[in-house]
Parts: sequence; structure tokens; C-alpha cells
Amino acid sequence: MSTKSAQPHLLTCARFALAFAVLPLGKGSTLEPAGLAADRVATLFWVLTIGATVIWLVVVGLALYAVSASRRPQSPRGSSLLIVGGGVIFPTVVLAGLLVWSLSMLPGLLAPAPAGSLEVRVTGYQWWWRVEYLGAEGATIELANELHLPVGEPVELQLESHDVIHSFWVPALGGKMDMIPGRRTRLRLEPTQVGVYRGVCAEYCGTSHALMSLVVVVEERQAWERWLAAQAQPATSPGEALFLEQGCGACHTIRGTAADGALGPDLTHVGSRASVGAGVIEADVPGLEQWLAKTAHLKPGVLMPSFGMLPPPELTALAQYLAGLR
Amino acid sequence: MIDADPTPLAEAPPLELQRAQAERLRRVWAAPTGWRYWSAVNNTQVGLWYIAVAFIFFLFAGVLALLMRIQLARPGNDFLSAELYNQTFTVHGSVMMFLFAIPIFEAIAVTLMPQMLGARDLPFPRLAAFGFWCFLIGGLFLSGAIFFDAAPRGGWFMYPPLTSRYQPGIGADIWLLGFSFIEVAAIASAVELIVGALKCRPPGMRINLIPLYVWYTMVGAVMIVFAFPPLIAGSMLLEIERAFDWPFFDATRGGDPLLWQHLFWLFGHPEVYIIFLPSIALVAMIVPTFARVPLRGYTWVVLAAIGTGFLSFGLWVHHMYTTGLPGISLGLFSAASTAVAIPTGVQFFCFIATLWAGRVKRSVPMLWVIGGLAVFVLGGLTGVMVALAPFDFQAHDTHFVVGHFHFVLIGGAIFPIIAGLYYFYPLVAGKLLSQKLGTVAFWLVFVGFNITFMPMHLSGLRGMPRRVFTYPPESGLDALNLASTIGAFILAAGIAVVLWDVVRPKKAQRVAPRDPWGAGTLEWVQEMPGEDWGIRSIPEIDSRYPLWDQPHLLRDIDEGRFYLPDAQEGLRETLVTSVIDAKPLQCLRLPGPSYLPLAAALTLGGFFIFGTFHLWALATGSLVASTGVICVWLWTGTAAKPTQATKDVGLGVVLPIDAAGPASVGWWAVFVTMLADVTAFICLVFGYFFFWTVHDDFPPSSSPGPGVLWPTVAAALLSASWLLTLLARRWNGRDRAGAFYGALGVAVLFEVAGSAALLAGPWSSGLQPTTHVYPALVWLLVGWTVLHVAVGVVMQLYCLLRRARGVLTAGHDLDLHNVVLYWHFTFFTAATTTAVIAGFPLVAR
Amino acid sequence: MTPDLPEANESLLSTVAAPAIWAAHFLLSYITAAVWCAKVAGADGSLVAVQRAISLYTVLALAAIGLIGWRAWGRHRLGDSPPPHDQDAPGGRHRFLGFAGALLSGLSALAVIFSALASLFFGSCR
Repeated sequence: MSTKSAQPHLLTCARFALAFAVLPLGKGSTLEPAGLAADRVATLFWVLTIGATVIWLVVVGLALYAVSASRRPQSPRGSSLLIVGGGVIFPTVVLAGLLVWSLSMLPGLLAPAPAGSLEVRVTGYQWWWRVEYLGAEGATIELANELHLPVGEPVELQLESHDVIHSFWVPALGGKMDMIPGRRTRLRLEPTQVGVYRGVCAEYCGTSHALMSLVVVVEERQAWERWLAAQAQPATSPGEALFLEQGCGACHTIRGTAADGALGPDLTHVGSRASVGAGVIEADVPGLEQWLAKTAHLKPGVLMPSFGMLPPPELTALAQYLAGLR
Repeated sequence: MIDADPTPLAEAPPLELQRAQAERLRRVWAAPTGWRYWSAVNNTQVGLWYIAVAFIFFLFAGVLALLMRIQLARPGNDFLSAELYNQTFTVHGSVMMFLFAIPIFEAIAVTLMPQMLGARDLPFPRLAAFGFWCFLIGGLFLSGAIFFDAAPRGGWFMYPPLTSRYQPGIGADIWLLGFSFIEVAAIASAVELIVGALKCRPPGMRINLIPLYVWYTMVGAVMIVFAFPPLIAGSMLLEIERAFDWPFFDATRGGDPLLWQHLFWLFGHPEVYIIFLPSIALVAMIVPTFARVPLRGYTWVVLAAIGTGFLSFGLWVHHMYTTGLPGISLGLFSAASTAVAIPTGVQFFCFIATLWAGRVKRSVPMLWVIGGLAVFVLGGLTGVMVALAPFDFQAHDTHFVVGHFHFVLIGGAIFPIIAGLYYFYPLVAGKLLSQKLGTVAFWLVFVGFNITFMPMHLSGLRGMPRRVFTYPPESGLDALNLASTIGAFILAAGIAVVLWDVVRPKKAQRVAPRDPWGAGTLEWVQEMPGEDWGIRSIPEIDSRYPLWDQPHLLRDIDEGRFYLPDAQEGLRETLVTSVIDAKPLQCLRLPGPSYLPLAAALTLGGFFIFGTFHLWALATGSLVASTGVICVWLWTGTAAKPTQATKDVGLGVVLPIDAAGPASVGWWAVFVTMLADVTAFICLVFGYFFFWTVHDDFPPSSSPGPGVLWPTVAAALLSASWLLTLLARRWNGRDRAGAFYGALGVAVLFEVAGSAALLAGPWSSGLQPTTHVYPALVWLLVGWTVLHVAVGVVMQLYCLLRRARGVLTAGHDLDLHNVVLYWHFTFFTAATTTAVIAGFPLVAR
Repeated sequence: MTPDLPEANESLLSTVAAPAIWAAHFLLSYITAAVWCAKVAGADGSLVAVQRAISLYTVLALAAIGLIGWRAWGRHRLGDSPPPHDQDAPGGRHRFLGFAGALLSGLSALAVIFSALASLFFGSCR
């Protein structure tokens, strides 16, 4: 079995000693909830965990006592009591209670955000996320692999898939929801704390499933509005000609330029993002240089061809151009 | 007043006679030697091969798991490439499920159940051998693929459209066809086990005296009959989409990926219990032995087995909580998922009560039992957690779930199976395994297991999805994953110790004493080392623990004071008894060694394997060859005309040799097989109505559909042929040969015409199966029905020929009864198909 | 003195009748809700009609399970012999099948009640 990647190393000075890099990006634990839904589930988790631990200790304790030598054998009547009490009555009562509690949570978790809430459409692709802020009258602001949300407000996500089944999951904010081709699912998030959170694809979606992350930035309403207004603007940066000359515009859109491809992520403000490649590497000049040169190595199976054949100065120029798109 | 049970002969037969009887039995049941060894069909050989091969697949999948753990030892590792990692987890999961967990259940059951039932063998030894060979061929094909970088990489649940359109190469085809092949074999073994448990018990082993292992096995086997067909149906749809572009799961042409998830999990959840119940069955045998008392709460355990069997079919949507289904669906499945914890829990309290009721003797099997209980209970508790939909929204598809189901499967299956290995090993090999090695292995496995899988719960909750080949550094996952990797190697070391204990040379070790643990159940009457005949004479049973309760049982069995102590005719024989009270009904003649099962498995395997590579000519050739082999097998090996009508089986009981209809084991086998078949068909019909709920306009108003005329003609012709088949059986019974030939001959003609009419429906209206899911479904239902009619035609021709050759007669008509039974089901299939494709569009519009 | 209890009057199928009713209740509830939301009410529609239907199914199912369980319990109590019902006699077998049927009825009733409980929490197809 081959244990080495087939891709030759094109750049000798790798910033990462590790072959596959996934950036930490942000907090991504369900146990440090920063959203309403995650918070409720975390409470449920702690209650369940404590209860399960106690039950486990009692059951295993009983079993160990039963095999120990120093005790009187139990009478048939005692056996019946143990079987009916421990095996029937106790679990029935506990399970009924848990069922009622968890079911009473469900309608709240499944309810849509109130009308007039922020609506965002997120579409899963192998292996990145198209993000579209749906404004009034059908106007949309598009970006990729990054989501900014105002704190304390419910947001309604419309989830779709372009190809295979993905699952949208930001552990710190709430539960996951699958993105299924041919269907539209929805998910309500309500972040309660400002911060940067990591989202991932939870449903196995092919080769680079592990490399499909999402950055969720939760900020105060004003900061968020400033950010959204900036994202709505077209972007300019010196060095556009090389980007177009290399044919990048066939797949990528940069609003304000001739690049209007729709296959790949919108790059209009790529320089403002935390990463490229859906969480693979930083979106600064060195990071972009590596991404362009060893795309398929950093993200196995990716559709984008590597541009490692470009002379290093051009690679740097291209990276500088992209990093400048802020 | 009820007849008293016959008692064993008061006087032992003369020694001379005993020796001659034993010699005859030994010769009749002897395994073939030399190369012919591989033609053996007796459970003592086939069961052993089955267990050994399943265990080898377990080791193989375990090595794959270690490779994955090396890859995940640190973030950003490049030990495995992404592609290879994806193949590794797919093959690991699939092999563990399909090539280890299910086969080991059937293997252990095939080996042990005849001993527990005091039967010489199960009723269809060649079918069991066929099941084994299919398993071996399919298993090698599947696991071999990873060495050619061609293994499936869609995950063990193979969700389309990833597997239908986004993974070119033959990996997915290998999975779909290879496992379908193995599932057919698994159903064959299940048929054998069900009929064996119901009809081949020793006289007097009434339904309330059956060993609990047999109860569990019966439930598990019945579950296979209903759980595997949905997967076979789903695999068929997915493979047809891959090979011929019929868009069942392609949303752009009306298909829906969720149909696969329904069908897969309708199989997949019961599957977990199919693995768990027969393993816990071993515990139910071990616990009373070491507690030295009968199991407390026998009926409660039966309740648990049956109740779990039912409820586990109401859990499938809990794998789909995050697919956006209506809340009430989640609620209903959440309710069933919590309810199933009740029967699961009851049996553990029965085991604890049993231990408490006795004085427990410390032993290696008990150590594994208690360890397994501790592990499984924790897995069960996390199971309740994920059954609650809100928690599952977070935990689903993460390492939490990976941790959970390894606790369930390893605690619920691996620990009990190893306990069973240490307990039952003397039955198979005549020697005991080492107490010291068993104890060392236990602690290595127990500690290693917990270090491996406990941290996974936390890594999942910290945001680590399952099936990722790497994870980010500095996110609290590094230490947890490193611990899991270290634990996995400790666990593997423990398994290696078990392996060594099994394979280490034991020549010098003395043979184990008979019934070495002082158990009470019938399998322990076996001589050490065991004889191929299984049991010297088949006893009359009065108790759940005959070895504890029936005085002189061993002596009476050994001296041939019970039933069938001899094989005067030189034929393999066992008793068939009634379902409830196990009254002797028939002396069943069993077939001996044959290469036919192997040949049938090879040719049928050829069909699936060539099909994988789209070598249609070779595939068709193999299919024809396998049909031929199966016909020869049936012709030469089944329903032979008995040389005598009755036989004195001993103790004054005279039994018929021949039986037909519901009195015969063959009829029951056909019945159970057809239940599985019709379940698969219902899944296809479910698909049709599933799309009706998915689409506003279904059947699409733009499509002409198959019309009403041709399906109606087909329904009329096929109904008529079904009636003619019934009449043919009646006329044959009255020995009216002319009427019999006429009825069956006309039936065949009607069937050919009916099939043509059925095909004419969608053909004449020009339905193109590749354009939309609706025409694809119509063609599928039509094709399924025509295929069944075609098989029915072959059966009828077979009967015509049998009668012409004088093998099938008025008094010896078991074949014809089975064919009629087949036709009942085929009639149902044809009637349903025509009603759905022609009738439903009229109602829906 | 136990009456004559011929084997022909016993059936394994009647033992599993109660769980079969659970299965029917469960499937019917699920299908009713799924078809209602997909074909009638729409994704935001009201579920009150479905809740009523499930209540009706529940009453019917519990009545049937109750009847089965009651008759099974009667068989279990036949004669004067408590469990474990391990006698090698028609009476033991009869009482065992009765007891198993009664226990399965209890479990099935519980599972039906759990399902019915679940339906109460959802007023809409969300």
C-alpha cells in the first residue's frame, strides 16, 4: 500500500511541516456553547451524562456484587423484584421522563426564525461552501466559506447542495442540518456570544471531506453591518490582468472585473477572509502562493488545477493580487 | 390424560450391537478425506470453516482500523493519503459488518445449534455449505479490492449521490454486487437456522424448554429475513443507476437520495440487533453454567429477544434526524428508540439476578461476560442519549457516535463472542484454552478498548466529525486522538493474545474432560473430542437443563438407548419434530458430501463478479451455469423417492420418511425464503409511493404511463396460470396425469404470454427509464415481476420433467407443493405490480 | 386438574400478535403524518388532524393489545403454577406461551403509549 502522497512537493520551503493542514480557525466545541440551540443541548448533555454515569455505576456495581463470593444467594422472589424493578419500572420511568423533556425541546429547536430575520443561503459543494446573503428584492451578496452573523439575533439559513450530501455544522452555535441535492433544508441559528467559530461538513462527502471548514464570525450589529456593506462593494487590487490572463475568471467571480465564473468560490473579497480552500491555509500572500502552487496536494481531489508551473514571480504577483482583494 | 413421554430403553443394547451401531454411524457421518474434504457439508466441518474465515476477516478489518488510528495519531499526518483513508474506513466498516459480525453469528449458530438441539445436523446441510462458499468468494473479492486501490470509498452506508455519480471506478460496484451476493447467502443460512430451530428439536424439547441461545438465534434469523431485503432492493436500485443510468437517486431527474437512506437504515438498524442478540445469546448460556443455577427470568429473556426484534424495525429514522424531516417523524422514532432500551435492559437484569441467585465460579468466560456487560451498558446509555433528537443534532455523524457504536458492538458482540470462544472451544477442538492467556488478553482488550473509544465521545463533542482523515491542531483534539491511537494498539495486543491462544500447538495438552464447566445444556453431552455424528442417540428432553435434571442422560445417550442410535440403511438421518411440543413427526434423510454447493457458489459468484466489471457475456454465462448447477443439485439431491415408507426410530416410535407441504422442512424453507423475497418487492413498491409523497405531480401528468390495457391482460393471464398451477397439484394428487400435464403446460404458455403483455405496457407507450424516475420505477416493477414469472416457469418445467421421469408421483409430490407455494407469492407480486402501475395513476389523477 | 391442552390450539403467531399491533400502529402513525405533511398540509401546515388520527389509532391499538394481553395473562394463570413454567407438560408450555404473550403485550402497550406521547408535542409539520 502506498503511504506517500503521489503529488511531488513543488515548493521546497513549506511553511507547514505537515502535509495536510487544517487551520484551527475558531472555537468548535459543543461544550462551549455560544448559541441558543447549542446551549440547550449542552444542558441536556450534562444532565444525561451525569444520569448515565450514576446508572452505569449502579448496574455494574450490582453485577460485581452478584459475582462476589461473600453474599447470600438471592431468593426467586428477590430475583423477580430485581428484574421487574430494575429492568422494567425504573427504565420505563426514566425513559418516559427523558422522552418528554427532549420532545418538549424539539418544536423550539425546529421553529423557523421570525419573519424579517436575516436570511442566508448556504450551498454545499465538494468541498467548500457558497454563502449568499439574501437581501430584499432578490439582491444577494455572495462570498464563500465564511459567515458573519450579528450577535443576539436569529438567522434563518437555507441549506442546499450542488452535488452530494453535505451537512452544515457549527458546533458552538447549534445542531447540524444536512444539505441534500434536490431538497432545501433550513436551520435557525441564534448566536449569543461575539467570537470566531469553526464550522465543518459533518456528512462524509468524498475525498476531501475533512478539508471542508467554515469560519463563522459573530460580531456586534454595527460591525456586522459595516462588514456586509464592504462585502457588497466590488473589489479592486493591482495585478488583475495576470488573474484574467491565467483564465481564473472562467471559474471564479471577482465583482468589478471581467471575471464572472460561477463554478468556484466568489473571490471578490478573498483577501479579507480567514482562509482559502475552505480552511486549508491562510489567505495571506504566502498562504495564497502555496495554495496556487500545490492546490491538489493541499486539497486532494479538488477541481481547481495547480498553478505550480508558473514562474515564482508570477505566482507571487497573483497571490499579492488576491490578498489585496480586501 | 396425556401420553407420557417415552423413556429410554431400560436395558442397554448388547455391547456388540452398540459397537456395530457406532461404527455404522461413524462411517455415515465421516468427513471426506484428502481433496474431497472440501466437499464436506456437515455442520462440524462447515461451521468450523465459517468461524475461521469470519475471524480472519475480523483480523483484516482490525488491521485497517490500526492504519486509521496511525493516520489520526496527530493532526496533519500523511501516513495514509485521503483516498486511501477513505477506502480504509469504508472497508473496515463494511468488512466488520458484512464479513464478520453477521457471518460469525451464522457460523456459531450453524456449529452449535445442532449440538444444542441434539440434532445430527440442521435440515439443509448443503444450503449451509453453499452459504459458506458464497461468503468466502464474495468476501475475498471485496477485501481484495483494497490491495488494488480499487476498494469502495463511499463509507459503509454508501450514500448516493456521492456513490451514484461522484465516485467513478468499480469500488462502489464491488460493494453493491459483492454484498448483495453475500446477503443472499446470509438469507440462505437464516432459512436454515429458522427451520432448524422450529422443526429439528429433540423430542420433548417443548417451546418452553428451548435453550435461550436458540430463541435468540431464531429471532436474529427472522430479523435477517426481513432486514436484508430492503438493502438488497436498495443495492439493486443503486447498481442499476450506476450501470444503466436509471435515475432513482438523481434529483435532477426526479430521483431522491433520501430513498436510499430509508432503505439502507431499514436494514441498518435492525442489523445492529441482528449482531447483538445472537452474541448476547452466548451470555445467556454462559451465565447459568457458572452461577450453577437455571437462568432467572427465562420468559423475560424471551420477551427481550422478541420485543427487541420487533422494536428494532421502528428505529431507522433515528439515523436521519438531521435530514429535515417533520418534527413529528423525529418524535415517533425517538419514542421507539427509547422504548427499545427497555427490553434491552431487562435481559441484563435477568443475568444479574441469575448470578446473584447462585454461587459464581470464577472463570475466563465469566470475566469476558462481565467486561462486556460493563462496556455494553455504557454504550446502551449513550444510545439513549443519541436516541433523543435534540442531542443527536449535535452528536450525529461525529466521533461521539463512533465511540457509542463501538461500545455497543464491541461490548455487545466482541466480548460475548470471545467469552463464547473460551467457553465453547472444547466442543470444537476437544481442548481447553489457557486460563492465564485468557485473563491477560481480557485486561489488555478491556483497558485498550476504553482508552481507544472513551476519548472519542469527547473528541466528537469537541467538533470532530466522523470519517475525517485529519483534524486541525490546537483544537483540543490532539491529545484525545493520540490516546485513542495508543489504546487501539493495546486492544490489538489483547486480540493477538487471544489469537495465539487459539492457534498455539496443543498436542501435548490433555483432552478436556466431558462437560468441562459442569453445564446443564444439551451441547455438552458431546464426547471429547467430538464425533462427526454430533450425538450418539437423540434423547427425549424433559428439562431446560437436561444434564442437570435428567439422571443417567449421558449413559443413555452413549449406549444408544434413545432415538436413532443406528444407521442401518447407511444414510444420514435426523428427526423432524413439531413446532410447539417437539413431537417426532418424520425421520429426515440428510444429504451427504457434495461439490455442488461449491460449484453453485462459484458460478453464482461469477455472475456478480463479472457483472461488476460489466462483462455482460461472461456474467450471463455464469448465471446460466449456476441455474444449471442448482437444477442438478435439486434434481439429484432433493426429494428423492424414499426406499421405504416408514422407519422405526427407536423407543417404539415409527415415523414416515417422506413429507410434503407444511409437514415438510422444504416447504418451510421456501416459505421463509419467499417472505424475504416479498419483503424486497414491498420495498420497491414503497419506493413508488415514496416518490408520490416527494413530488407534487406523481405519476407525472406528462407521462403516458404503462396504460391500463396491457397490465390488465397480464394480470388476467398470470392469475389464470396461478389457478392452473393449483389445479395441477390437485390433479397430480389424484393421479390424473393427463390433466396435470395439460394444466401445467397451459400455465407455462399463459405465463409467457402474460410476461409479454406486462412488458408491452411500458414498451408500447415508449417509457424511457433513463429520462425520469417514474418510468424507471415502472420498468423496475415490471422487470422484477417478469423475472419471478420466469423462475416460476423453470420450476413448472422441472415438475413436468420430474413427473415424466417418474420421480414426482401422486404420493410423492413435495416438489409440486413447494412450487405452488412459490406461485402464491408470485401471484401476489404480479397482482400488486399491475395494480400499482396501471391502477394507481387512475387514482392519483 | 388442568384441561386437555392440545398442541394444535397453540400458536407462536398469537404470542407475537401484540408487537405486530405495535408495528401497525407505529407505521400507520408515521405514514399518516408523512403523507399529511407532504400531500395535504404542506411544510408549515397544522397537524391537529393527524394528532386526532393518532389518538384514534392509539385507542384502538391499546384496546386490541389489552384484549390479547388479558387473554394471555389468563393462560399464564391457568392452574396453580407460578413461573418459570419449565414443566415438560402441556400445562407448562401453555402457561409459558401465555406469560410470554402477556409480557409482550405489556411492552407493546408501553411502546404504543410512547409513540402517542410523541405525537402530542407537534402542532405543525415543522
